[in-house]
This record gives sequence, C-alpha cells and structure tokens, in this order.
Amino acid sequence: MIRAEPTVGAEVPPLTRTITLTDMVAYAGATWDWHRLHYDPDWLLARGLTQPVVDGQVFGALLAEALQDWLGPRAALRRLHFRFRELVLAGETVRCGGRVTRVAGRLVTVEQQVEVVGDRPRIAVAPAGAVVELRT
Amino acid sequence: MTMLTEELRARIGEERVYTAPEELGRASIRYFARAVGDDNRLYTDDGYARQWGYEGVIAPPTLVCETNQYADVPRDGDGYAGHRWDLHVPGTRQVRGGNSYEFHRAVRPGDVVTATWVLVDIAERSTRDGRAMLVVTSRAQYTDQAGELLATNEEQVIYVSLDVPGGDR
Repeated sequence: MIRAEPTVGAEVPPLTRTITLTDMVAYAGATWDWHRLHYDPDWLLARGLTQPVVDGQVFGALLAEALQDWLGPRAALRRLHFRFRELVLAGETVRCGGRVTRVAGRLVTVEQQVEVVGDRPRIAVAPAGAVVELRT
Repeated sequence: MTMLTEELRARIGEERVYTAPEELGRASIRYFARAVGDDNRLYTDDGYARQWGYEGVIAPPTLVCETNQYADVPRDGDGYAGHRWDLHVPGTRQVRGGNSYEFHRAVRPGDVVTATWVLVDIAERSTRDGRAMLVVTSRAQYTDQAGELLATNEEQVIYVSLDVPGGDR
C-alpha cells in the first residue's frame, strides 16, 4: 500500500479530534501520568481553573498519527518537535494540520500546528514539525 | 531580584537514571494506541508489522517519550509519578514549554527502557508582558537493555513569576 507522494507545499490531511475527559483519563492511565491537573475538580478549583487541562504531550501523539496516517506504514518518524502556546481544555476539539516544506531523498520535512476549533478558536501548539523517513 | 539563584545554578548538569522494572509490553502499546485513538495496525498486528519490515508490532513513536512507566517512583502531592527535578522556585507557576524528540529505532514490546535525564540548562528570561521566568531545559536519552539508543527527548519547562511587572503587591 503506497499512499501520497509528498511534494513541497503538499498539505498534511488534517486530523481532527474532540478530547473528552474520558479520553484524558485513558491517556493518563496509558502514560502513567496521574497529575490531578488533568481530571480533579477540587485541585483545579483551588487554582482558579474551571476545566481539566489536556496533557500537552498528547499533541505529540496526534501530530505523529496525522503523518503516519497520511504517509502509511512505510513512513517512520525520525524527529518531532512542538511548542505549547495555549492550554486546551476537556471537551475541546483540536485540528492537527501541516504542510511539506522540504523533500530530500527519502526524508520529508513538515511544518505542523495544532489549533482549537469551535467557540474559542486559537492556536494551541506552534511551531511544530517533523522529519519523516519513507523507508524502502 | 534574580530568579536564578546559586542553588539552582548548581543543579545544572545533574543526572538521573531510571530503568523500567519490566519490558514495555504489548498491552502498554495497545493501551496507548487506543487511548489516543490511533488504530494503526503496526501497533497491534504482528503479521501486518512484519509485512512492513518490522519484527512484529511496534510502539507508536512518541510512546517512549510520553510514558512514565520506566520511572517507577511514588506519586507526589499532585498525583504525578514521573521523573522530576524538584526545583524550588518560589512565587512561580510551572508551564510546559515544548518538546523535541528524535527517534532512532522503533520500540518493541520486549524492550526494557532505561531513561537517562540530564538537567541541561536553567536560563532567566522574561515573558512578552515583562514577567520574569526561568526556562529549564532537560534532555532524556532512552536506551534498551543492550544499551541501544531508542530515542531522545529535549524538554522545556517554564517557571513564570506570579509578580506582575509594575504591580504593587
């Protein structure tokens, strides 16, 4: 199964995900990260927060998934970087998008970002990006 | 007043090493993939993974950098049970800056991960609105039981001053 041949300027098909509190609890369990910031109403209230905060590292997983889904099983992620700009709260919907900025042999470089869509749209993660190797 | 005290500066270069008490395991891989909603068969189907040149199922690439499985440390008061430096920076709140990962080979269920964390740097900066902050840069290197490099993770955590510039607190 060979998928899209990435060229400079090509858009990474966006990956859109609504992150519910249930998803956050599942992620906390899967990563052995039980920080109360991600689920505990009393802890949040004491710190002036109204909603559980999504663990930022999950965006790394989603940025990786967007690329792997697009480029298929021959693709192997070599590098991934991301900077956090805004908190994302339980129940919000994010869209991970990107575009190819360089293709050099088997290595594809992409710029990516995570934006929150919905009532309070904003960029949550940027700059971000990756280098993917298309294995032969 | 400088936030970067001599006590903090002396911590730069510190190292912590954690070795997981067990193999990563197929269940951890499937759990992570399911938790993030990733149905890629490379993570659950040995036959499919072999078709694509792997020895069997592999872990989603970022799992090794995101899990605290290797740390095996008690929870702190916030419920956190991963690596931490326990830096004391009074009058600040802590926020994540970002991460930069490098993946050297696909992680497999049989890998027993050792994470070696180094406190690379602590630098004083200011936010766009003029508040002081400390940027703490750490680097983790993940290796398997044979010492082979799996991945690296450079992470920035930021301690932002609660003092508002020009405020009369």
